[in-house]
Amino acid sequence: MGAMAKVDDFTSSSPAREYLTFRLDQEEYGIDILKVQEIRGYEPPTRIANAPSFIKGVVNLRGTIVPIVDMRLKFNCSKSDYDSFTVVIILNLRNRIAGIVVDSVSDVMELPPDSLKAAPEVDSVIENDAVLGLGSLGDRMLILLDIEKLMSGVDMGLASEAE
Amino acid sequence: MPLILAVDDSPSMRKMVSFTLTGAGYQVVEAVDGVDAYEKAQAQSFDLVLTDQNMPRLDGLGLTRKLREHPQFKTVPILMLTTESSDLMKQAGRSAGATGWLVKPFDPGRLLEVIKKVIK
Amino acid sequence: MAEVHQEGGGSGADFDLSQFYQIFFEEAGENLDLMERMLLNLNLETADDEELNGVFRCAHSVKGGAATFGFSDVAELTHQMESLLDRLRRHELKPNSAMVDVLLESADASRGLLARHQAGGEGHSPPTTDLVRRISVLVSGASAAPTAMLVPVAKLVEVAPVPVASAVVESVSEARIDGIRSLEITIGPVDRPDQADVVKELFRDIPGLGTIATLPCGSSEFRVFAVETLSSDEDLIDLFAFHVSRQQVTIKDVGRSAGRGDSDLAPKMNSDARSDSYDDDPPPGAPLAPLPGFGFFDGAPGAPTDMLPAGAVKPATALRADVRAPAHAVQPEAATIRVAISKVDQLINLVGELVITQAMLAQNSRALDPALYQQLLTGLTDLDRNTRDLQESVMSIRMIPMSIVFSRFPRMLRDLAGKLGKKVDFVTQGEATELDKGLVEKITDPLTHLVRNSCDHGVEMPEDRLRAGKSEIGTITLSASHQGGSIVIEVRDDGRGMSREKILGKARERGLDVSDQMTDGEVWQLIFAPGFSTADVVTDVSGRGVGMDVVKRNIAALNGTVEIDSSEGYGMKVSVRLPLTLAIMDGMSVGVGDEVYILPLSSVVESFQVKSDAVSTVGQGSQLVKVRDEYMPVIELEKVFQVPRFNFEKPSDIMVVVEADGSRVALLVDELLGQQQVVVKNLESNYRKVPNISGATILGDGKVALILDTGALVRRSRH
Repeated sequence: MGAMAKVDDFTSSSPAREYLTFRLDQEEYGIDILKVQEIRGYEPPTRIANAPSFIKGVVNLRGTIVPIVDMRLKFNCSKSDYDSFTVVIILNLRNRIAGIVVDSVSDVMELPPDSLKAAPEVDSVIENDAVLGLGSLGDRMLILLDIEKLMSGVDMGLASEAE
Repeated sequence: MPLILAVDDSPSMRKMVSFTLTGAGYQVVEAVDGVDAYEKAQAQSFDLVLTDQNMPRLDGLGLTRKLREHPQFKTVPILMLTTESSDLMKQAGRSAGATGWLVKPFDPGRLLEVIKKVIK
Repeated sequence: MAEVHQEGGGSGADFDLSQFYQIFFEEAGENLDLMERMLLNLNLETADDEELNGVFRCAHSVKGGAATFGFSDVAELTHQMESLLDRLRRHELKPNSAMVDVLLESADASRGLLARHQAGGEGHSPPTTDLVRRISVLVSGASAAPTAMLVPVAKLVEVAPVPVASAVVESVSEARIDGIRSLEITIGPVDRPDQADVVKELFRDIPGLGTIATLPCGSSEFRVFAVETLSSDEDLIDLFAFHVSRQQVTIKDVGRSAGRGDSDLAPKMNSDARSDSYDDDPPPGAPLAPLPGFGFFDGAPGAPTDMLPAGAVKPATALRADVRAPAHAVQPEAATIRVAISKVDQLINLVGELVITQAMLAQNSRALDPALYQQLLTGLTDLDRNTRDLQESVMSIRMIPMSIVFSRFPRMLRDLAGKLGKKVDFVTQGEATELDKGLVEKITDPLTHLVRNSCDHGVEMPEDRLRAGKSEIGTITLSASHQGGSIVIEVRDDGRGMSREKILGKARERGLDVSDQMTDGEVWQLIFAPGFSTADVVTDVSGRGVGMDVVKRNIAALNGTVEIDSSEGYGMKVSVRLPLTLAIMDGMSVGVGDEVYILPLSSVVESFQVKSDAVSTVGQGSQLVKVRDEYMPVIELEKVFQVPRFNFEKPSDIMVVVEADGSRVALLVDELLGQQQVVVKNLESNYRKVPNISGATILGDGKVALILDTGALVRRSRH
């Protein structure tokens, strides 16, 4: 199976990786810490007309124009408030810098590869491609995301068709 | 530390020569043609001048002649980069007052060898 | 990265020359480009010393570097070019177009060889034997009969076996018709005899060269060989020069003489026109020169004394007349330095940051009491001026003249016209017009296509032109100029123009919705439809499937536009309009709802408060506004950008007239907020292209504002 195979590849070839964990609604997610550039508070971005609703707009990050994606809207979470606790994770991906709005950020976790399990195939908002697997530490369960794949998916609307 | 004036209109050659000579402990000033070299020679005294022949504005022979006309440069060793098979070139070089010649293409080892013979 | 060169190693095993390869590749590339330009500009009738010397030096320089760094294939080819050029610069030969052609082709081949080396040397080296042969023919062309020509080793290999091969080289066959020659060749003095023995390998490695046998010899410093060969002495010495120096070779003809009188050829070849040719001339492909590769003049200043006989010897005084007088004031070396583009971009970014900071200071200081803060405010005014100056200087670094773009066309057209049998004159205007380096790279392909089109489809065959009462020679003009905030590049030809009927016919064929009522302009625009071509035969010259649609797309990607004007029988003009993408521009900020948008000040014509009776609605809800005597379309920015409106009290009543793409529209906004310098930031680097938006900027308060693409807005209003 796709996801299963992925976890296998994962465990066989890679050492323990560090994941930044964040929360969206009731779920906890983890992404490769190496892709995280910084964590900021939320400031209202400049709206871009005709963009999908989960693309809030663009902000100025020390001179660079960076798009902001609200993951809560993308993942159809129950609510998405913007308050002083709202966090934006600035990602440094291969082709671009982008920010994602999440409910909160937890800690950085190191997960040994053999603690990863395949994610069950459910009809989910997230393309299975972008789910690396499920990790657990104690009684916490993390959904590990390939954030690079997720952000470059066409449905994200960050890339123009030509890319 | 001996100071060498390296003259060649080819940047890659200049870099190669510079690198080789500085690696061996010499100091090097680069010039891009005869005119540039002559100007630089006015500004400081060199222990050796190493010059290509074919260059714009003023070529190797011309530079050698000009330098020799100047009392300050009557004795500085001047090596021309040329080929020994051309007797013509050797004659011209000798007439202009060059000290000797070095065949192109040369390798860095050869360059250092020759320079050692000339710089005390 | 370049591959490792064995042949360049020589005794310099401790020295890694590969670090210089990149510099050499760039330098050689420039020299080859310069050579090509000079060759194209060469007037065959009145070519002067300076020009010929200049071209010679380019070839010479590439050859020298190639030999030094071990790229023997390049060294050999450029060595051949150099030999021809040397004869030309000495006026021993008159330049003709066959020579220019072969030199241009050889320059191309050299570029190819270098590119291959630069890419790692994979694959086969493109063959250069034919070029070399053609050059040899030309080099020998005007020479007096008995003088042997320089024959490269490659050719030696090619023709040595058979005396009278195919229609190969006429004059060189002179050397061999005579049959097998028996020679006694002495090599020495050498430091090590095995250096001399290596010439035997040549006979083993090169088929048809001949046979060689060692003869007994008294001295350990010499080697004597008996050689049977078809080759001339010059050819052999050239060959041997790979391994020993020419002075060390003595050839005696002991057998059936060729009757050419040069069997006692002394290594001094003063009478040989060839050796006069070069000032410094390592044999092509020679590994780094063998010992001894240097020498000193007796009694010369600074010469090591241990090498000299006692007593100084006066240097010869007479300078031989045929040593070229130096100091041709050609190409004065412009004072330039190379800078990596990334550094320039970094500099531009930093200046951009400075402009933002300065704007913020200016904004925040507006509230200050001038009386109390006079010095501060004066300082800020100075800062404003300094920043502007700095910004202009820095921006100009990235601007390069159009001549860079234009430079490739003379050569391309020459080849293309030749291939098609057409006669074309190429004219350029406005070469000094500058545009941003980033644009240059992207504009080249579309322009190339347009120029090729003009040559291929526009300009008629000479006979047809004459029949039409035109001059045999067609003219293609490429021009560039600044107009408003754009750069306009035009490709014009005086060819057959386009046929309205043909295009309409083709369009109908392809099922496009057209009518005879369409204006000419609209008809011409049809050729941008994908796959459209009115060529009766798609020639390989213009390429299959690559059409005007790609050109249009490429230009559109640069936020530019393409317009066509044509007159059947008279010619065609294609105008490409590109916005000057300055990273810093003067902007006018306008308020739409709660949002701020920026307009390029250069496109703003005027602004006014509009009265409702000046606005009329026409079909499908579009509106027009009357400005003095003109009616122009109204664009409601609120609608275009779906700006949420919270204040319904006050309707928008301010119009800003902008002009772009040759037309004017009025933009309906809520407020005029001000003018300031804005730093244009790219939206697409992290996001994507947004319609009607040309970029973004950062306002004094740190917030992002979108910059309107006035051209797109104007075009939007057209349909």
